[in-house]
Amino acid sequence: MTLLNWAVVLSGLYALAALTYLIFKARSFGPRSAYSTPQGSPSRGIIYALGRGMMPWEKESARLHIFTYMGGLLYHIGIFAGFAILLAKTLSVEIPPLLHEALRLCLALGLVSGLGLLFKRLLRPQVRRLSLPDDFGANIFVDIFLAAALATSSRPEVTPFFLAYSIFLLFYIPAGKIRHCFFFFYSRTLFGLFFGRRGVLPARPVER
Amino acid sequence: MSLDQSRDVPLAQRLERLGPDDYKTAILRLAETIDAPSAVHLESCVRCGLCAEACHYYLDDRDLKSIPAYKLNLIIRVFRRYLGSGGRLASGWLKTRDLDDREVREWIDVLFGRCTLCGRCALSCTMGINVPALVRKARGLLAAMGLVPDGLASTVAAAKETGNNMAIPREEWLETVSWLEEELQAEIGDPTARLPIDQQGATMLYVVNPREPKFYPLTLTAAAKVFHTAGESWTLPSTYFDVTNYAYFSGDDEVAGLIASRLKSEMERLATKTLVLSECGHGFSSNRWEAPDWLSQKTGYEVKSVLQVVADYVRTGRIKLDPERNPKTVTLHDPCQLVRLGGIVEEQRLILKRAVRDFVEMTPNREKNYCCGGGGGQLSMTAFTARRRSAGRVKARQIERTKAGVVASPCHNCLDQLAELNKQYRLGVKVKSVIELAAEALVLNKK
Repeated sequence: MTLLNWAVVLSGLYALAALTYLIFKARSFGPRSAYSTPQGSPSRGIIYALGRGMMPWEKESARLHIFTYMGGLLYHIGIFAGFAILLAKTLSVEIPPLLHEALRLCLALGLVSGLGLLFKRLLRPQVRRLSLPDDFGANIFVDIFLAAALATSSRPEVTPFFLAYSIFLLFYIPAGKIRHCFFFFYSRTLFGLFFGRRGVLPARPVER
Repeated sequence: MSLDQSRDVPLAQRLERLGPDDYKTAILRLAETIDAPSAVHLESCVRCGLCAEACHYYLDDRDLKSIPAYKLNLIIRVFRRYLGSGGRLASGWLKTRDLDDREVREWIDVLFGRCTLCGRCALSCTMGINVPALVRKARGLLAAMGLVPDGLASTVAAAKETGNNMAIPREEWLETVSWLEEELQAEIGDPTARLPIDQQGATMLYVVNPREPKFYPLTLTAAAKVFHTAGESWTLPSTYFDVTNYAYFSGDDEVAGLIASRLKSEMERLATKTLVLSECGHGFSSNRWEAPDWLSQKTGYEVKSVLQVVADYVRTGRIKLDPERNPKTVTLHDPCQLVRLGGIVEEQRLILKRAVRDFVEMTPNREKNYCCGGGGGQLSMTAFTARRRSAGRVKARQIERTKAGVVASPCHNCLDQLAELNKQYRLGVKVKSVIELAAEALVLNKK
């Protein structure tokens, strides 16, 4: 492995450590007390929150904004593909051709979706006013990452740039909005715990 | 400035008097009340804005400030400034804010004036953020600064000082109950029918909304009629009878705990087994779910909604209902605190399906139902009345689409708001509680 490859590994470890620290920092505020007797099942609530509860037929916001919802899904699939490419390039692992093509497709769709979401954020006045510089920055940084991953997957000469850029992105992840990649699962779990415990979600069968 | 001290001073003057110590107090309060789930949720918002249409305020006015993510980010920017990660170093990039005069004014307007704590946005949130829990914590911070809007502050103070939110004297309560007992006996022709007071060892202690003895005594008689017919062992308390807890809406956990502790002491004094809560959304949510946490202990007794009790009577045949006595089409409004945040979803439906000839659902319904606009203490905060009524348009349209002649709701707060909407939007419906409809359909035991 070259020095650049090692630098990617180290920045990846830094990102993981920093994200873990952020989770522990949030946990350091202390647990919420729960003295009331549960009415439903917290575990069923969590399973719902991380599964069916995110589907358009369950979630009104996903249904009403189906293109944004689909765009968000594709964007995140693209990001996973980007990290798969990064892992392969860093560890100098050859990706089988079929998987390579699938990853390229995911990257392309992810990039288009990311740009679509960026334009939506820029062009819809209320979403623009709701946004922080970090929201635009995070989107642009990730879009560049996807574009670089796509480029490096067909043109090996781009690889040094892709690796160097990835170092920057890995350092940025815990610093701003992209930290939600870790918080997402924690936050949804808490959602499921709350509504599951109270017997609200998943909904009970209708009584005749 | 405590809530008590601030009660007689209008909010505008209280704002003018704020000093550096008040802001320090508020930040300390923030640090004390934020727990791990809150911190996780405050770190999670991605400002996608998909929550907008979940809020009835936004559906009505399409204002940026009505988007739940906007409300949440008022809290996030202060949290990050003082307690979050990177808030001081990257304040421009993350747009963090000091808690100052401008900020608290916006918090009051938005977090008190544009939110009913209904929780509908939480269901729509991509990240699953419990927005109402965080708004409530922010309200608690304002409460610590003595900045609860006037009407809500005085409602909480009345409950704290007198034991019920309408400051009904004990004698008046007892006289009303005695008068209602006579009315009930006359209505059903049964001199054994009672509204028992302080019955030691009864199975159920029934607590009510002070609005019932004060303005709508027939709802209390309706419940008594159902209990009597079911042969229930029950009692009303002579002193602390108030199911409501408006400190839940002001965010003041200390006062909320004090109010909740009174019902606990009544349960212990009378050695009753189950605390049964009259039709009240936030009364259920606060007594069933929040009170044990405020008091840092398990209650040691069951806490039930009257809907659960009556639904059980229906299921087990302890009472019989004749739907022909309620021939009009009835629809149901689901109170947010009872249904979405409380988990009482099917009981009211079971009762209504047996008590009325034609029951139609609103769309959407159950945990996805829209707030009527009267929750979160809105009915008591007169400064926001116009906004509340306007945001109620969403509910009014929902009711209209059902073409029902009667709107039932198991919450007295909701009933008040629905009655106002009925007038304002000329809905031409009757507004009734679920237990009222059940009592009207009740087949009395022949002696």
